[in-house]
Amino acid sequence: MPTEPRSDTGGAVVSAILIGVACLVIWDSMSYMDKDSAVFPRTFAGVLIVASAAYIVKWLLGRGEAGPGADTGSLPRRVLLVGIMLGGTMAMPWIGFIGAALPVFAALTLVAMYDPWTRFRVLVYPLIGIAIVLGFFYLFREVLQVPLPTGDLFDS
Amino acid sequence: MAGLEHLLAALTPINLAFALFGVVAGTVIGAIPGLTATMSVAVLVPLTFAMPTSSALILMGAIYTGAIYGGAYSAILLNTPGTPSAIATTFDGYPLAKKGDGDYAITIACLASVIGGLVGALALMTLAPPLSQVALAFGSVEYFWLAIFGLSLIAALSEGSLLKGVAGGALGLLLSCIGVAEVAGDVRLTFGLQTLLSGIQIVAALIGLYSIPVLIDLVAQPGHHLQVDSGSRGFRLGEAVRYLWGDKINTIRSAVIGTVVGILPGAGGSIASLVSYSEARRTAKPGQAYGKGEPGGIIASESANNATVGGGFIPTLVLGIPGTPPDAVILGALLVQGVRTGPSLFTNQGEIVYTFIWGLILATILMLPTGLFIGRYAYRTIITLPKALLVPAIAFMTIIGSYAIRNNISDVIIMIVLGGLGWIIGRFGFTASPIVLGLILGPIAESGFVQAWTIGTATDDRFGMFFGRPISIAIIVFTLFTLLSPLVLARLQKIKEQAHAD
Repeated sequence: MPTEPRSDTGGAVVSAILIGVACLVIWDSMSYMDKDSAVFPRTFAGVLIVASAAYIVKWLLGRGEAGPGADTGSLPRRVLLVGIMLGGTMAMPWIGFIGAALPVFAALTLVAMYDPWTRFRVLVYPLIGIAIVLGFFYLFREVLQVPLPTGDLFDS
Repeated sequence: MAGLEHLLAALTPINLAFALFGVVAGTVIGAIPGLTATMSVAVLVPLTFAMPTSSALILMGAIYTGAIYGGAYSAILLNTPGTPSAIATTFDGYPLAKKGDGDYAITIACLASVIGGLVGALALMTLAPPLSQVALAFGSVEYFWLAIFGLSLIAALSEGSLLKGVAGGALGLLLSCIGVAEVAGDVRLTFGLQTLLSGIQIVAALIGLYSIPVLIDLVAQPGHHLQVDSGSRGFRLGEAVRYLWGDKINTIRSAVIGTVVGILPGAGGSIASLVSYSEARRTAKPGQAYGKGEPGGIIASESANNATVGGGFIPTLVLGIPGTPPDAVILGALLVQGVRTGPSLFTNQGEIVYTFIWGLILATILMLPTGLFIGRYAYRTIITLPKALLVPAIAFMTIIGSYAIRNNISDVIIMIVLGGLGWIIGRFGFTASPIVLGLILGPIAESGFVQAWTIGTATDDRFGMFFGRPISIAIIVFTLFTLLSPLVLARLQKIKEQAHAD
């Protein structure tokens, strides 16, 4: 990721947010019963404040170092990807693993689809998706004995 | 060197079959993000209870070594370490795959893993009793300094801005504090959220911070995930062997580092690979661009993490102290088998131990053909799978892999949220690697620091506790050397250039 010296307002804003996070950590550490629990988070909250503040000063002096920035590409698809994954995960305790995984897989296939839908793709892609989901379900639940969510809605 | 009779005992068809099965199963499981080497060994341990002891050990060792290597596949092809010990493999493996050399990167990883695994196994065979004393020489303060040494890698991993790297590392260390404090039991940084009570699971965080940003960028644009060259180029074995021969010092040094770090209980493959990567980067030759697809980075990481397999068995077998988490599972299985570990194991039950070590060596050698074959298949799958199937398949694997670690939906939510946040701050130059480094090293640094601080306070000698022990001093000197040598060398180079100009 090449960086070039230029104004980096975004980096300075993130640094300011990180200072806020560090202050929150210090505030939280005031409530610990044992001081041993507070030493480490306070120390590194201090490091975070110093590093972030130093970066803000550097930015104010016009020596900010910008990151790669937002590349071109579809923002709605990005947001949808995270939203679908998060939504499916949160729904899993209610509708069960397979009940959540199949719609998530189908929705993500639609979000990631750039090629035209041919008859072959319409037939084959869902079948591959079902095979992957059921294959992993079997591997994790039966072979690796992972108790995957069954779904509260379907529990008697 | 142990006798030929033990080699012949290991070479029985049934032991060879177990070694082959173990390597293949371990490699496949290790390649799935979220399924760690510990989990692969734990899942397959019940199979060993009815077996002869040496065969059981060979199977477990083969699974373990295969899983450590398998983690490299997803690290190289998806920028997602399959196991935590493959973190450093992502630094150069993924950039190399992006350039269209994923097949080459996998072959390099396979060869380095085999060499690292052999060095670790040979150390176990020849030097186990004296090397096990290293584990006893390491106290809490030495672990603290070792973690600080690992954190010095932040300087190397900070792309563009050191200050952003330091801030990212500190953020990772703070994230590692979330949940119930290991030392004193306080509930920290949860802000009343039940989801955060069990803390941030390192593997889930790794998957989120490395894999989700890749998915977010993958879904946003048409085009291939990795650059694809037309035509088959085979395994590119000759090319990889020539590179390894040219970088033999890095290969051997990393294997030795991996063996020694493997001996330290609790340190494990992730620290071994980070420390050896740091060393490889520090001693880079002119023209080597670490972090941008330099094969030497893959060699350092993979050679070191596979060397921890043999290294970790040293304290496990000689002292009964597991060197790495999978060793703890194997130790439990050994107790079920009736094997009593301890200094006399090598003399009283030498037949079992040496047969096992030969079995481990054979399994490591078997990793070469199986690893190359499975790696080639994984590479071709990733480059030929259409994006509309690749994205949901990876997303699905990240979800199920994060869930399976603790059977906890919270880990999956944290994984996705961390990944999203990681992608956002990554746009502004706050890269994932320093955060991950802080997350991994945080618990080791904290428990080492607090224990040393408490002992120092009790003995009224805090300064002596932190700065007066020989191993601590050596690690501090090494850390300073790692941090300062690039600056000093750059300064000397500048002076030299000025002198030439004058």
